[in-house]
Amino acid sequence: MNKTALNILAIVLAILFVFPLIWMLLVSLKPDGVNVYTLADWVNWSDLNLDNYVKVIRDSQILRWTWNSLVIGILTTVISILFSSLAAFAFSKLPFRTRGIFYVIIVSGLLIPTEAILIPLYETALHLKLIDNIWAIILPGLTNPLGILLLKQFMDGVPKDYIEAAQIDGSRNFRLWWSICLPLTRSAMVSVGIFFFIISWNNFLWPYLSITSEENMILSAGLPTFLSNNTMSLNLIMTASAIAAIPTIVVFILLQRHIVQGVSMSGVKG
Amino acid sequence: METKLNEGKGSMALRKREPLRIRTELKAILYLIPFLVPFAVFYLWPVLRGAWMSLHVWSIQGMEKYVAFANYKKIITNSDFYQYMWHSFYFVLLCAPTVIILGLILALIINQKLWFRTLIRSVFFLPYVLSVSVISFIWLRLFDTKHGPVNAFLHLLGLPSDINWLTDHRFVWWAITIATDWWTVGFVMVLFLAGLQEIPTDQYEAAKIDGANAWKRFLHITLPGLSSVMKIQIFYQIINCLKLFGQVQIMTGGGPGDSTNTMIRYIYVTGFKKDMFGLASAQSIIFCLVMLLIAVIQFKFTDRKDG
Repeated sequence: MNKTALNILAIVLAILFVFPLIWMLLVSLKPDGVNVYTLADWVNWSDLNLDNYVKVIRDSQILRWTWNSLVIGILTTVISILFSSLAAFAFSKLPFRTRGIFYVIIVSGLLIPTEAILIPLYETALHLKLIDNIWAIILPGLTNPLGILLLKQFMDGVPKDYIEAAQIDGSRNFRLWWSICLPLTRSAMVSVGIFFFIISWNNFLWPYLSITSEENMILSAGLPTFLSNNTMSLNLIMTASAIAAIPTIVVFILLQRHIVQGVSMSGVKG
Repeated sequence: METKLNEGKGSMALRKREPLRIRTELKAILYLIPFLVPFAVFYLWPVLRGAWMSLHVWSIQGMEKYVAFANYKKIITNSDFYQYMWHSFYFVLLCAPTVIILGLILALIINQKLWFRTLIRSVFFLPYVLSVSVISFIWLRLFDTKHGPVNAFLHLLGLPSDINWLTDHRFVWWAITIATDWWTVGFVMVLFLAGLQEIPTDQYEAAKIDGANAWKRFLHITLPGLSSVMKIQIFYQIINCLKLFGQVQIMTGGGPGDSTNTMIRYIYVTGFKKDMFGLASAQSIIFCLVMLLIAVIQFKFTDRKDG
């Protein structure tokens, strides 16, 4: 294909792709009740203002939900990565007889998605008095075996000599993990961590079910409450979406190299 | 060293080694415990518990009575079940091929030397980091019959009347597919890009010298080179499509009528709206079996020699 034609095609596609987001931003900045429909609406920027943002932030708990999403995302990611790294270390570096059995049990976690165990998971959370508690979201988030699989591959790459040298120096297993394997797999941990954070940030179904009070909701599960609220107009709904989307977009722009790398690594190997 | 020497000396030595080995086992398992505890409580236990619950009449208050396989019988004699199962697979048929083909096309474009290449790649990937509720809200409004830009755009192209994207059963699945493709295609693209970069360029050079045209090169070098990524993607997308919930819950509520109700939404409604946990568990178990079947097929198709 002609080079110029290809370039133009790529640019047209890119414009089509950002179009929904630009439209969302534009509508969110228009006065309540004003749509962006005709070409004239698109170019008329004279009435743009932040009133809708003030209104949504004042009338809903959206900032609180953003904060919850952030806290839950960070806790889930950090704990998950540490636990996965410990397990990956055992599978990769410690010779033990039952490792095959444990490995199969853990990998079996990839087979059945949360969606398929919703009901008993809810029942379990109910028994543990976790319903409407942020730990109801965090704890089931720690069961993704993908981190172990990926980190094990990187631990396998840590040279044997390093481990043996440290063992001769009298290092115990925990030291081997903490001061050799952990630092040497740092970049892999960042990649997997980013992937886990995105999963947690975008987790919808389970938080939607397990959180009942508005103040404990996370962003993805809290947004749909705007729909059941009839006073919310098109503009306000788009404003709420924009408030939910903007932090994600900013973080994406700042960290895009890591994010794309993390996602492609986790996706290819997983 | 010492244990190796002892091995030849028979049962006495072996018995001596026994306690030592248990200690190494336990020491190693200690490192698995932090992961295993939440894994057992929030994954293994619910799987078993779900199987148990599916044999009972169960409400949010707890168990009511044991009914053996009555729940399963109820499900398979009810036509709703087949209908929702079909909806889930129908969405797989629409969404999985489109998202994979589009992702491949985008990856092939981005793999060329373009102006603003990194920027365009980021633009394609960006929707993937948004949450399902955000993308559903946006497309709910974009597809609005009277005030939505999608219809406005189609009018510009000469479409005479409005399309009821979300309330006409002929279009609603396409609306959900378009929204989902837009949301996830960047992910597929990134994976194909990673695959493309692993195909050695000298293969293309050699094919060029042999006079193969662009289409032939795509068919005989690019596609085979991407086969492992392709296999992973096909199964990943099938499973992802079967898990469809958020988009229909927000954009259509399962409507119009029942036409976008899926397996997951069926489980959700049975369990949480009708308070029939036992029946919903049985539905979940059937869904699990479908998932396991897909995993078995995947295992047969992908030999994990290089994985």
